[in-house]
Amino acid sequence: MKWTLRILTLAFILFLAACGSDGDDSATGSEDKEEGADTEETTRVIEHEMGETEISGKPEKVVALEFSFVDNLASLGVSPVGIADDNDKERIIEPIREKIGDYTSVGTRKQPSLEVISSLQPDLIIADMKRHKEIYDQLSEIAPTIILPSLAADYEGIIDSFETVSMAMGMEEKGQEVLQQHKDRMEELRAEVPEDEERTVLPAVVADSGYYAHNMESYTGSLLESIGLKNAIQSGDARYNKINLEQIVEFNPDVMFHMNSGEQTVVDEWEDNELYQDVSAVKNDEVYQVDRNMWSRFRGLISSEKILEDAIGYLYQ
Amino acid sequence: MKSETSIHKWKLTVTIIVGFLLLFISFVASLSIGAYSIDFSKVLSSLFVQDGSKDEAIIETIRLPRAVVGMLIGASLAIAGAIMQSITNNPLASPQIFGVNAGASLMVVIGVVLFPDLAPNTLVYFAFIGAALGGVIVYYMASTGGGMTPVKLALAGITVHLFLSSLIEGVVLFNETSTEDVLFWLAGGIDGRNFGDVQILLPWTLGGVVLALLLSKSLTILSLGDDVARGLGQNIGLIRGTSAVIVIVLAGVSVAIAGPIGFIGLMIPNIVRTLIGSDYRIVIPVSALLGAVLLTISDVLSRFIAFPAESPVGIVTALIGAPFFLYLARKGGRTA
Repeated sequence: MKWTLRILTLAFILFLAACGSDGDDSATGSEDKEEGADTEETTRVIEHEMGETEISGKPEKVVALEFSFVDNLASLGVSPVGIADDNDKERIIEPIREKIGDYTSVGTRKQPSLEVISSLQPDLIIADMKRHKEIYDQLSEIAPTIILPSLAADYEGIIDSFETVSMAMGMEEKGQEVLQQHKDRMEELRAEVPEDEERTVLPAVVADSGYYAHNMESYTGSLLESIGLKNAIQSGDARYNKINLEQIVEFNPDVMFHMNSGEQTVVDEWEDNELYQDVSAVKNDEVYQVDRNMWSRFRGLISSEKILEDAIGYLYQ
Repeated sequence: MKSETSIHKWKLTVTIIVGFLLLFISFVASLSIGAYSIDFSKVLSSLFVQDGSKDEAIIETIRLPRAVVGMLIGASLAIAGAIMQSITNNPLASPQIFGVNAGASLMVVIGVVLFPDLAPNTLVYFAFIGAALGGVIVYYMASTGGGMTPVKLALAGITVHLFLSSLIEGVVLFNETSTEDVLFWLAGGIDGRNFGDVQILLPWTLGGVVLALLLSKSLTILSLGDDVARGLGQNIGLIRGTSAVIVIVLAGVSVAIAGPIGFIGLMIPNIVRTLIGSDYRIVIPVSALLGAVLLTISDVLSRFIAFPAESPVGIVTALIGAPFFLYLARKGGRTA
């Protein structure tokens, strides 16, 4: 099944590459002339997951293939021209949508449209390690591309990615400034969590087909841990774990943050079960519905602050 | 002659006794093993005495329905495989190779995507339509050009399977909201199944099993070849038609509840025939028994893969089944 997909994708990419290469050459050609005026010293080499990429000047047309990079760009005050928004503008969380204004959708994050990306004539593409590793070469033909961890990153990794993005944008100073503000804000938020907080928390995506718990190493889990909220799952190889009611009873979280996916979920089935009613969080009425876009998909500086504000609001106010 | 039948009887008795013993062991293991640790003595006592404890609630509301669903689906898939192998006279036939699982999966995925609020008992009908679709295409493709050989069936089956799977991938790809859920389901799993699922499953499975048993005598004759069967006065068209309905119901309802769990329908009937011969009056019930055992054991093993999180049981059956498939294909290739 995976193979079919790969072969199809490969065929599709080869087809696109064949079609696109002529157009690309002329595009980069004209760009070279423009940039030729810029001084050589603004060219810098950015190290990333797939090697090194040379970027010159300040990229103006940036395409972001993961939401966390949209967040990073918005933090720097840059509006991306293209976003892989899964064809759903609603997925861009409110505080960020306000900042970035209009953009072109380049399709789903899983399968972004190389054709649309190419038509935007970007001068920088930022893509995710897990989802876009395989199309790195094709993306690089369109524009300088950097590949950073997003989907599989924890909070620390997200901060590292932000620093790389600000360097790639030629905005290192601005980046440091923004990061400092972010860190100050995080300190403030941390201060709102009492030292003796002992409750365990469990963020999870709740769907009809299952309960997907985010453990202590996941982005959301590690973010909550960073301000002293201990995750209920301190084990497991995978960061996102499909678990059952049985495991929830075993982990017995004191607080649960549910990111609902779909109208009906497994939790609806569980609600009649005594075992579920006996879980600490349910018993103490500490189950909160949170926005999945904000809590799990965005993984950036702005969304991190918003998540913690949300969490602290629920827990202490 | 006499000694041969007595050896045969003896083998059958042993197979059935060992089968039930294994079923009991795997059933108890399924109730005892999980993320939440429960004393073994407690597991046994909870079967007979009610004390309202948490352990008991976990066994009764989580592990018991899961074990029951596992046994019903294991039995259904094994019977479906046995019937398919009989009517096609081909040891490689099974719901998976025949595109029945993939067809049912495709329709269920389409159902879930187009009508997200559909109740699971309606999805069963989607699965039936898809199972029929997949099966008919493969049957048609494999029997053109004079007779269905194992190789042709395998080729046609895999081709259609891949084609339907790529359609599924396509549907999934364009609906990212539900991707993770669907992908997990596509691997085939019975974790988190409850008594609601048992209720959906039970009437279809029982109906299928009873029909299969009624048909078993005709299947035995049919497995001798069409000409012999016709000579013995069998209505071949009717037998095939009924068989197809049973297969679609058993495999379809299994896919609707647990996703496409592979290889059980392939392995079990072959093992059973090796053990006790090809009298389908015996092959069908014994396949049901051993199918239930295999899926229950596989489900217990699947709990260890990413403990304490859940892994799809389809991974375990594929791990055991794929080498078995290669063995059968090699063996078939030599004799043909």
